[in-house]
Amino acid sequence: MIDKASFQPPPIGRVVATEQKPATPHQFHFWTANETSIGIGAIVRVEGFGAGDSGRVVYGVVTDGFAYSDLATPLHDVVGAEGDPARAAEHPTVRQEIRLWTAAVLRQRPEEPLQPVPLGAVHVASDVDVAQALRMDAYLGGEQPTAIPVGLYTSGGLEAPVYLDADFLLGPEAAHLNISGVSGLATKTSAVEFLLASIFQHFPPHKGRVAAVCFNVKGPDLCFLDQPGALEDEDRRRYERLAVQAQPFERVRYYAPFKADGVNLNTLRTHPDLVGDVEPLVWGLREVLDYAEVLLNRDDIDAKADAFIDFLADRVVDKEFDDGFGGAHRVVTFADLERLFRSIFDGLELAGRGDTWRTHHIATIRKVRNRLSNISTRCKGLVTDDGPSSDLPWGRFEDRAVYVVDVANVDPLGQDLVFARAVSKLREHLERRDLGVDAVVVFVDELNKYAPGDGPDTYVKKMLLDISERGRYLGLVLFGAEQFRSQVHRRVVGNAGTIVFGRMDSDELATPGYQVLSPATKIKLATLPIGELMVRHPHFTQPIFVRFPRPGVLRGRDGVERFPPAADLPFEDAVVRQLVKLDRRVRPNQVKDLIADRREEDVRRALAHTRQARPQDAFAHFKKHLGGRVAAVPAAARESVAPLNRISDEPY
Amino acid sequence: MKLAHLADLHLGFRQYDRQTPRGGNQREADVAEAFRRAVDDVLAQRPDLILLVGDIFHSVRPTNAAILFCFRELQRLRVGLPDAPIVVVAGNHDTPRSTETGTILRLYEALGVEIAVEQPRRIVFSRLDCSVLAVPHQALIGDDRPALRPERGTRFNVLATHGQLPGLGEERGTMEYGGALVTRETLAPAQWDYVALGHYHVAHQVEPNVWYAGSLEYISPNPWGQLQDEQDGGRAGKGYLVAELPGSRVTFRSISPVRRHVELPPIEGKGLTPKELDERIAAAVAGAKPAIDDQIVRQLVFDVSRATARDLDHAAIRAYKARALHFQLDLRRPEVHRVEASGAPGRRQTLPETVREFLEHRPLDADLDRAEFVRLGVEYVAQVGQEGEGEGGA
Repeated sequence: MIDKASFQPPPIGRVVATEQKPATPHQFHFWTANETSIGIGAIVRVEGFGAGDSGRVVYGVVTDGFAYSDLATPLHDVVGAEGDPARAAEHPTVRQEIRLWTAAVLRQRPEEPLQPVPLGAVHVASDVDVAQALRMDAYLGGEQPTAIPVGLYTSGGLEAPVYLDADFLLGPEAAHLNISGVSGLATKTSAVEFLLASIFQHFPPHKGRVAAVCFNVKGPDLCFLDQPGALEDEDRRRYERLAVQAQPFERVRYYAPFKADGVNLNTLRTHPDLVGDVEPLVWGLREVLDYAEVLLNRDDIDAKADAFIDFLADRVVDKEFDDGFGGAHRVVTFADLERLFRSIFDGLELAGRGDTWRTHHIATIRKVRNRLSNISTRCKGLVTDDGPSSDLPWGRFEDRAVYVVDVANVDPLGQDLVFARAVSKLREHLERRDLGVDAVVVFVDELNKYAPGDGPDTYVKKMLLDISERGRYLGLVLFGAEQFRSQVHRRVVGNAGTIVFGRMDSDELATPGYQVLSPATKIKLATLPIGELMVRHPHFTQPIFVRFPRPGVLRGRDGVERFPPAADLPFEDAVVRQLVKLDRRVRPNQVKDLIADRREEDVRRALAHTRQARPQDAFAHFKKHLGGRVAAVPAAARESVAPLNRISDEPY
Repeated sequence: MKLAHLADLHLGFRQYDRQTPRGGNQREADVAEAFRRAVDDVLAQRPDLILLVGDIFHSVRPTNAAILFCFRELQRLRVGLPDAPIVVVAGNHDTPRSTETGTILRLYEALGVEIAVEQPRRIVFSRLDCSVLAVPHQALIGDDRPALRPERGTRFNVLATHGQLPGLGEERGTMEYGGALVTRETLAPAQWDYVALGHYHVAHQVEPNVWYAGSLEYISPNPWGQLQDEQDGGRAGKGYLVAELPGSRVTFRSISPVRRHVELPPIEGKGLTPKELDERIAAAVAGAKPAIDDQIVRQLVFDVSRATARDLDHAAIRAYKARALHFQLDLRRPEVHRVEASGAPGRRQTLPETVREFLEHRPLDADLDRAEFVRLGVEYVAQVGQEGEGEGGA
């Protein structure tokens, strides 16, 4: 542990400067004893002395190291050992050896005038030094501190907490975080989970309320954020040191679309003990049509298709509409829309009126129809005609809550739609300041896929660029993760105020984006152990290595083992389960009797209404929406009616 | 199978204070006469099934004359078409507010008419291989709303109910107030052979197999709006529907009107003196086809100031009222135009108005005719607007 007392430990090195290797305002070299605890990434403090330099303090981070002796050439050593490496140890005297380190300047005190680093003593940084070196003193103290613990700076058995500035992590000064690293170590997801926990516990009250929306795009990664994970003593110690409580998230809301059957949820969080708090994500025509651009691929993007989609949204959906061939339509569902399309095609054919309807060419109409019917087929559990939509709680977001949208098993087209709509809605509500929270962290994994540096300009990519460039003013913050940072769109990573690196692939490190790193730093990055990261933050002039504890939540792989997903239930049982989830008094047999012989779409519709209303008596509500059955009764036998006599006084 | 679909008879409906020679309300007699004509046509059409879908009477306690008349007409149907079942569904006007009130519709059970007043009934007519789910207004607004779904067992499945589809008739206020809401989703058109609806007083196709039959006479609300709704739907006049199953081929059977609703061409009163306006009204009345005598007539006049209205020839107007069954001179006050920039009451100028105002004040070469210049400018803007509307459709 770092000694906080006034005791001044002896220096561990001394700055040296030669004509070949001079000390500059941004870099210096120092030597240490052979037995030293510092290494690449260590933070050091240089104290100036003598005229002009007395009182000056320079902080630096070690970026490279060298070791050499007074040996003139390697041949001299070979000759001295007579060509036998075993005899090299028999030298009468040990050659003088030097450990020389290169450090990049993190900060100078005073800041002005900016001068070359003084040739002073080098000390290992203490807690206070680390805070000073990384300019954390500006946001650690004061009346309204904005420090968010990100991990522990560790060097030679000493360690100090490193904090990010919330103003630069979550806006408005800068925002967004990008994390890259090779897959399979669970570092990226774990780091984001830990950082979210840290944000929720340390987000300063004066900055308002904060929530997170996490898109689970693969496997069970984010499916167990509310369950405690296994921690080791070392993790607990790190949590204590960072003043973050080691616990799962208190408020997690899960959303997942249905499978094609419309009643079983399409998620790996289907264990009976857990599935109860997964809310369905179900959208209707209106929700899809507003974001229909997502469904158009690059070849489709044209003003005509856009215009026709706008026409449908503005003039047709939810309105009484005359198709011009004598048919009246009120389009509310995909089925209604399909009926309208058929009516248009039939009408044009019968009328022989060419190939244009309301100034829209039939090819454009067919294209839009195909795309819309495509989504309703390929994402049947997400997009449905059965009953009201079930959506994220727009306008009612809770403070310090995580909203996990599980689209791992959804068709890629559906994933794009979910992402585009969710982010658009977040932006709309944040612009109106009526989301319920002041800032939202959106976590998207696999940015390589959603915002690639090359490839077509998709709607999702445009959305990500938009968040990156405008989000910080709104409180919409992107936490993006990817395997290869070099393959993500430059404006997405470029706008991230905070960059985090996990273990990197050597090929990736050879790309131009990593040229600023020293070879030693690159080697360290290529061999980073699990739980260690390199962080770049606007306040830090150089990247800093930190260690973070394992997140206090159950990892996806462990979660699936502890809570194995349940097999899909038969339709009746799935309906029962959903009703029981709403109201524990519901009797399964009663439900099964009620829905026997009913059409599944009617049952799904009633269920959707019940879910939306969340009534006290779920069964009664469900029954009411399903409607009572009317037993068939044969018509009574009719006696023949004889003609009546004339009435003496006709009524009119 | 052929079915006749009638709705919204509103027997007993009274309007205006004109009486029949026997002392009854003339409009009540008109409504009865329309039903008589409809029954005559139904007898000629010889359907296999007859549906009367709600609002048989205009009130829960109809006049004796209405009860008696309805009995006679239903009896005519039963005698004339002994094999055709008649199903009557109670609408909102037929539904008693309390159970102790009871319903006069039960009387017609004595004639062998199937009645659904409070509870829904699924009536199976084996001979027709058809089942009719008759759902009265009360069943739709109650807590135990039935599922409007067919059941297996018969070849044809018909739904008969009385309610309003959201959005329909909103534009002109022609949908009657107080109907039970039904949606396409609850009706599930694809599952029925035919859905017979009542409550909207204009014959209207909701889906190829889902229809409102409309009323048999122009009764409230807003009969003038109903005329416009009919015009929009390309179907003039009142009548009932004949549907042939399977395939749901629907024919509108027009009933010759007992009395016309005559809308005289609207008059723009702006800048007219009372005398000039009198002349215009007189000309409109003289040119009315049919003549206004015994008809229900409306003359709309826009932009008439209070002073002008006061100085009109009221003796002449009284004469028109005497000739017509009802003559409505609908004088609309001028709209208040905005004078100041903000906060002033009124409306925004239309584009042609804005263009006209601009052109009237724009500096022009001395040899140009300003009046012609303004006329042409406004005309061009109007043309563009019409083309835009034509292209926009809907």
